[in-house]
Amino acid sequence: MLKQILNKFLILNDVQAALVIQENGEIIESMKSGITIKEELQEAIATIMLDSRKTAAQFGNAPLSMVFVEFSESFLILGPVMEEFYLVIIAKNSANIGQITYEMKKNQDAIVSLL
Amino acid sequence: MIDQLPEGKSIGWMQAPPQWIFTHTVRFIGVVRVVIQDGEGFILIKKGKPLVYYFKHGRIELHGHGALDYFNSHPTIEFNLCKYTPEEFSQALKICDIEEAVPETEVVPEETRAEPVRADIEEDSFEDIPVISRPVQSHPVHPEKSEPVMDTPVAPVPVMPAAAVTATPAAAVPLKTIAAAPVKPAAAIPVMPSAAVPVKPVAAVPVKTPAASQERVFVPQPAVLEDPDIKIIGQIKKLNGIVAISVFNDDRNILLMGDVEIEPLLKIARTMLATTNKITPHLDWGSFVHMTLQIPEGNVIIAPYHENHLCILTTRTINIGHIRRILRDLQQDRNHDDML
Repeated sequence: MLKQILNKFLILNDVQAALVIQENGEIIESMKSGITIKEELQEAIATIMLDSRKTAAQFGNAPLSMVFVEFSESFLILGPVMEEFYLVIIAKNSANIGQITYEMKKNQDAIVSLL
Repeated sequence: MIDQLPEGKSIGWMQAPPQWIFTHTVRFIGVVRVVIQDGEGFILIKKGKPLVYYFKHGRIELHGHGALDYFNSHPTIEFNLCKYTPEEFSQALKICDIEEAVPETEVVPEETRAEPVRADIEEDSFEDIPVISRPVQSHPVHPEKSEPVMDTPVAPVPVMPAAAVTATPAAAVPLKTIAAAPVKPAAAIPVMPSAAVPVKPVAAVPVKTPAASQERVFVPQPAVLEDPDIKIIGQIKKLNGIVAISVFNDDRNILLMGDVEIEPLLKIARTMLATTNKITPHLDWGSFVHMTLQIPEGNVIIAPYHENHLCILTTRTINIGHIRRILRDLQQDRNHDDML
């Protein structure tokens, strides 16, 4: 069921992966297209999750809404779903960010209900 | 005196080293309104030439060198550049008791040095100005005098550890604390007399210990940003939803536009930068473009900018797509420059 929701992201143009991941880096579920989630990438995502939460806390303990890290070829969007679970989308930089973030918000409740 | 000065047309609030003002106002005629903690002052400038330095805190007034030294004792100061029309400038000269037709020969700088002038600030545009070399006055034209408005004048005292300075009972303005006043450690560099600086600690700003104050060394900061850079930063700042924009490097903040406290923002920016430095070697996704952290109040964005970095603080309603395009364009320009 979670795969079906993640697949909604994968059908968006130039989205390469959608995954639900725990703060410790453990992947709960993922859907990929033309990309391999290597251990290094997993560690990088875990670093972003942990560091960003700490950084957001510097704003008077503000909750983290979203993190967006872009490189010249690809980008990553990470949004907290619940507690230590995050939804991560990896896409080529030609992907439509607005569409991705819209889908993230739209499907958040459905993902939470499945965790 | 400040209240009497014409308002002028505000170009914007900035935070930068005091020296930045002198190297970026070659074609600027107006007043630079300076705010340091609870005090305020100004520098009247005519085409890069500072004519009057003035600072007031409570009943304490500093003129000339005293004010300049106090400005220089801060690594960065917050100021508002306000452009004057010729009429406003004439009015300001009268208020400051300066003859309008001051012959150049009357301007006797105590120290003159050639310094590259990199930029110039004008009203609404930051036009490209060629890099020229011109003598820059280190000191004001106006007869400098430190005039503490007190019942009993307090003579300037040499710099000493703040803890060792005892408040002079004769001072009409009580000395609340001097711990927060930045003090240069070098005794050769004049500092506003401690007793004349009744600096109240601001709740939001951590009060520095005397020891910490002593460690805060003021080094004249070179202007490291070129005209086009300042133009670009200014343009980004003008976009809807941009609260502040800073150019920073590993050591310090280089330029800040916006009304925010720079230190907490820099701390966050550097933390984000550390995160990107950790992950970048592990991702073969090309060069780093930006990292955006979104919290309910808004966004913090960091991005490389030449050999420095940008930190942008935005409201939540900002169009991220717009910012993203700008940052990508900046990076493309940078890559293009590198190729040339």
